[in-house]
Amino acid sequence: MDFTMSPEQELWKQTVREFADQELEPIARKIDEEWHRIPDEVIDKMADLGIFGITIPEEYGGCAVPGEEMQYAVTTIHELARGELSMSLPVYTLLCIGWSILMVDHATEEAKEEILPKVVTGEWFLGINTTEPGGGSDLANIKTVATKDTGDSWIINGEKAYISGVREATERGGGHATLFLTEPEKGYKGATFAYFPADAPGTSYTTYSDMGRMGLSTGGFVYKDVEIPKKYILGEENKGFYVNMEGFNVARAVVSAACLGGAEKCLEISADYTKQRVLFGRPLLNFEAISFEMVDDRAQLEMLKLMLQKGAWLIDQSRKDKSKVDFREINRTMAMCKCYAPEMGVRVARNGMMYHGGFGYTKDTPLEMSLRGTMSYLVGAEGGYHVMKIIMGRDWFGDEAVPYRGSQVGH
Amino acid sequence: MDIVVCMKQMPDLQQIRIKDRKPILENVPLVWGDLDKNAIEEAALIKEKVGEAKITVVAKGSDKLQQGILEPLAMGADEAVLLTDPAFEGSDSMGTAKVLAKAIEKIGAYDLVILGEGSTDNYSGLVGSALAELLNLPEITYVRELNVENGKVTAVRNMEESFEVVEANLPVVITVAQEINEPRLPKFMAIRKAGAKPRHEWGPADIGLSADEVGENAASVDMLSNLAPEQDRKNIILEGDLDEKIDALVDALIKEGVLGR
Repeated sequence: MDFTMSPEQELWKQTVREFADQELEPIARKIDEEWHRIPDEVIDKMADLGIFGITIPEEYGGCAVPGEEMQYAVTTIHELARGELSMSLPVYTLLCIGWSILMVDHATEEAKEEILPKVVTGEWFLGINTTEPGGGSDLANIKTVATKDTGDSWIINGEKAYISGVREATERGGGHATLFLTEPEKGYKGATFAYFPADAPGTSYTTYSDMGRMGLSTGGFVYKDVEIPKKYILGEENKGFYVNMEGFNVARAVVSAACLGGAEKCLEISADYTKQRVLFGRPLLNFEAISFEMVDDRAQLEMLKLMLQKGAWLIDQSRKDKSKVDFREINRTMAMCKCYAPEMGVRVARNGMMYHGGFGYTKDTPLEMSLRGTMSYLVGAEGGYHVMKIIMGRDWFGDEAVPYRGSQVGH
Repeated sequence: MDIVVCMKQMPDLQQIRIKDRKPILENVPLVWGDLDKNAIEEAALIKEKVGEAKITVVAKGSDKLQQGILEPLAMGADEAVLLTDPAFEGSDSMGTAKVLAKAIEKIGAYDLVILGEGSTDNYSGLVGSALAELLNLPEITYVRELNVENGKVTAVRNMEESFEVVEANLPVVITVAQEINEPRLPKFMAIRKAGAKPRHEWGPADIGLSADEVGENAASVDMLSNLAPEQDRKNIILEGDLDEKIDALVDALIKEGVLGR
């Protein structure tokens, strides 16, 4: 057993931290409040450092270290999130580098050659597109459907909702890994997963007004007779549900890393403040109601970090040799991380606001921005808080713990 | 062109705590000094400009250098010479210069030797000049702009209240000021490749010195104490309206010798 990072991993972590301190922290508030987007030059600088290629093999222009992709992905997102507390840029980046992994593992050669090099250079955005207006937690009941199969392509009709990066993919280029039905009567066993270019004719999007992470759009896609070439398939026809779930495990790891990085930074901000803020003749940190809560938070973040490292390592091992790792262990570990990481992120930001008093409720500290951004991962995205508990319950107790057991539709 | 860059790791100054006026150095991670990074960056920029060049980093320090050296190698150095033998510990500035000079002589080929104008911890600023003397080379200090062409360097020196433009033939020792460049962050691919670049570990014998010619044994300067300056706040509160307060502040600053030199 070994918990030490390699010199290369250490140096990369330090590099991304310096980048986040120098380039992201000064502009995080502007991304969230003024620009409502991530500046192109920041994306260019990240691409230049190699951030978008961290999970993509060299043959597609990337720089992935074979067998360590997830460890690097988690470290990268963790460090970026420390600098950009609105969560816009960490989420943008984790979607690109997370769903690239799925594309590397399951896309056709033609699609990989077309898409991945453009993700590496930062030109294209890559995201995930499963949720529908009817909901995201009950994915087995999606309605988006291939109404026609031309042999080389599917004609798609339907609607997706609460999707990150609808505007970015449309404006910059790129697209989303999308779940849809190819044999609707079979429910989730008739679902297929494929890359949908955001500019495919017949695609339109709307955006929502969100609570936080204002620098990254959230919205819905409407598909009206959209032709998706079959070269964009991810995995096999009618097996999309399982491929999608595999992708969710990767996504849950990087999402947890983003929550962890943001929480860690919020806690440091609180530590600096409570050390120097004097009340009743002594530093705020001198009150155990505060210092005990802060050490609790610190200890729990450390536990999360270790579990996340284990999860990332498990995924790396499984990608090297599927037979070596129990898929259920990955599933369980990632559900545990994704359940508590946003919860802790929100809690640590909220606790920090409490220590700051009225100051904490203003936009002069980034704490409220972190809380708003992290909430998005508590309510949903790659499965919300309660869905993670369903997964953990089913893993432990079996089907008896599954609320939809015995339901009629799609299962 | 052959460029040698001399670099030093030091405790991360951001993380040093002071207790009883003494710095607490235990568990403080080692980092490269800012000026050392300016030195390697300048070498990398020159290499990018002239095309054909080899950059060798020479660093003296603890065995932690084995890990730390990855950063300059990822920033553009081609090879590293590590002087990690415990015998080198406790050198004074002259001793460090002597060891560096011997290592550079062993490397053999050097058109440019680049260092920071001082180390960011002790900031004696002596090593560059002593090294130039020992190598019998010209030296240009406090360089804020450097241009290498046709076997010559043109350098702009920062003299604080003026700039001085000087020229020298290669080989030459250069010490750089912080404003000369913005050190790059290493790219991921460069980090990956850095691990495979050659490194050599040399002890005293490798550079033709005996153990009592180096380190603490050979130091002619003894450090008697290393204390943080005492800073007592005077807590002066100025009374009156704004104009009166400004006058009082200016008077107080003149009296303290801060203004009106």
